[in-house]
Amino acid sequence: MNSITVLARVTLTELKLVLREPLVIAFVVAFPIVCTLVLGGVFDPDDDAFGAVPSDYYGVAYVAVAIGAVGLTTVPVQVAAYRERGVLRRFRASGMAPWIFPAAMAVVGVILSIASSILVVITATLSYGLIGPSDWATTLLYGAVAIVAFVSFGILVGWLMPNARAAQGVGTLVFFPMFLLGGGGPPPDALSSTMNTVATYLPLTHVMRAIQEPWLALDGGGTNHLLTLLAIGAASTAGWLWLARRTTEL
Amino acid sequence: MHNNPIIEVAGLTKSYGETRVVDDVSFTVERGEVFGLLGSNGAGKTTTVECLQGLRSPDSGSMRICGLDPVRDSRALGALVGSQLQDSALPDRLRVGEALSLFATERAAPIDQVLSDWGLTAQRKTAFGNLSGGQQQKLFVALALMNRPDVVFLDELTQGLDPAARRTVWDLVEDLRAGGTTVVLVTHFMDEAEALCDRVAIMRDGRIVGTGRPDELIAQFGYAMEMSFTPPPELDVAALSQLDGVEQLAQLGSRVEVRGTAELVVHVGAALSTCSTIPSDVRVGQPCLEDVLVPILATTGS
Repeated sequence: MNSITVLARVTLTELKLVLREPLVIAFVVAFPIVCTLVLGGVFDPDDDAFGAVPSDYYGVAYVAVAIGAVGLTTVPVQVAAYRERGVLRRFRASGMAPWIFPAAMAVVGVILSIASSILVVITATLSYGLIGPSDWATTLLYGAVAIVAFVSFGILVGWLMPNARAAQGVGTLVFFPMFLLGGGGPPPDALSSTMNTVATYLPLTHVMRAIQEPWLALDGGGTNHLLTLLAIGAASTAGWLWLARRTTEL
Repeated sequence: MHNNPIIEVAGLTKSYGETRVVDDVSFTVERGEVFGLLGSNGAGKTTTVECLQGLRSPDSGSMRICGLDPVRDSRALGALVGSQLQDSALPDRLRVGEALSLFATERAAPIDQVLSDWGLTAQRKTAFGNLSGGQQQKLFVALALMNRPDVVFLDELTQGLDPAARRTVWDLVEDLRAGGTTVVLVTHFMDEAEALCDRVAIMRDGRIVGTGRPDELIAQFGYAMEMSFTPPPELDVAALSQLDGVEQLAQLGSRVEVRGTAELVVHVGAALSTCSTIPSDVRVGQPCLEDVLVPILATTGS
């Protein structure tokens, strides 16, 4: 059986399994949607702290939050749990190539991220009349890169964690500061300069900006953030591929 | 069946930190043989097999299965080898039928047949996490065998099974033998090794301390015959140790236990026949593997 067939089979199975986890679905789908609904209606539409209409700003920001939730709270836990429980040993003993499972998780993470992002956009559009992207092609391209990079980052985090509990703890611990400082919480103008400086080092900030800037025609156009995400994605993918091939003691 | 090894292990060594868990282990397994790795917990059996399954990298030594290296050729071997691992699991929400479909290859038996063979038809849509321990174990063995492998590793395969299911699995191993599949059976159940294995390697402290047919091992580590009785008052018990065939003589409470070769029965019987009263509680028996190996495996060589 060739590797692509095995990859397709594992991916389909993993997708089914993720969809059977109600808490996972609740977090990656419900959390961004609820936040979109709440924060999109909190600020005065004329508030100029955002560089855009607040509901548009948050509507797009929570697309990034959806991507972050999948990459930091779902994917790492699944990868670490499979290592911890010996599922990867079973895969390996069946002759499955070491890269198949993480690659399958990458595909599942991408599908979840896209689905969750679309639901956020639909929610924001129906609730607050979210405007469409100023530059469709760039927004979609940058969004795609952001999704792949963040899912890959999540796989690397999961592979580095000793067990599922640690992955869950670290993922949650990292996700919330990234989410709050990166643009999902208070607007950047409301943060101190130190906090804004810290935010520039957080990967989720670059996901938000890479999508917000071309979507809302903000300064910068997202290119610098795209380059950062490409670097994160390449380094993460190289990292988990290397670890998966090198790890024989599963 | 000899000189046709399908598995060759030479000088296999594996340490975890400062602890050497497999120490210069060498053995061969013939094609079509049921070969047992027997030893108490921590003897190094599972680590040895995990090296053969490509799940661990040995520190030194060589291994070949079907002429392939388990570490370098793990993907090619995946199609030829079936593994029931001692320490592994499946995702809790994965259903039985899905698990079988996930691991099935072109060589696999039809899923319905596998489910039926293993009495899991009713559990086809049951999630792995909702199976009983015995059902999970059955599923693992089914997964190991469904692709009709040339070599199958069964690590503590009857652990968690009730006596009836255990017998079913034993029958299945007999079927595998009849079908020409090579089986490596890792177990600490000596009755299982004696009942199923053509040859057994005994491991202690990471080393192989004996290899052979179960009857050869019994003779090597123990004795062929034992006889016990309550001695008549006029019998010179100490003199029994001088009789041909007697190797061990022990007084256990009011009874005397004599062990040795088969001929001891004749000579001890003759001594008893000279007494005015023949004991009515004479017992004669052959030891099993467990009788002779428990004292050896219970003590560490170090």
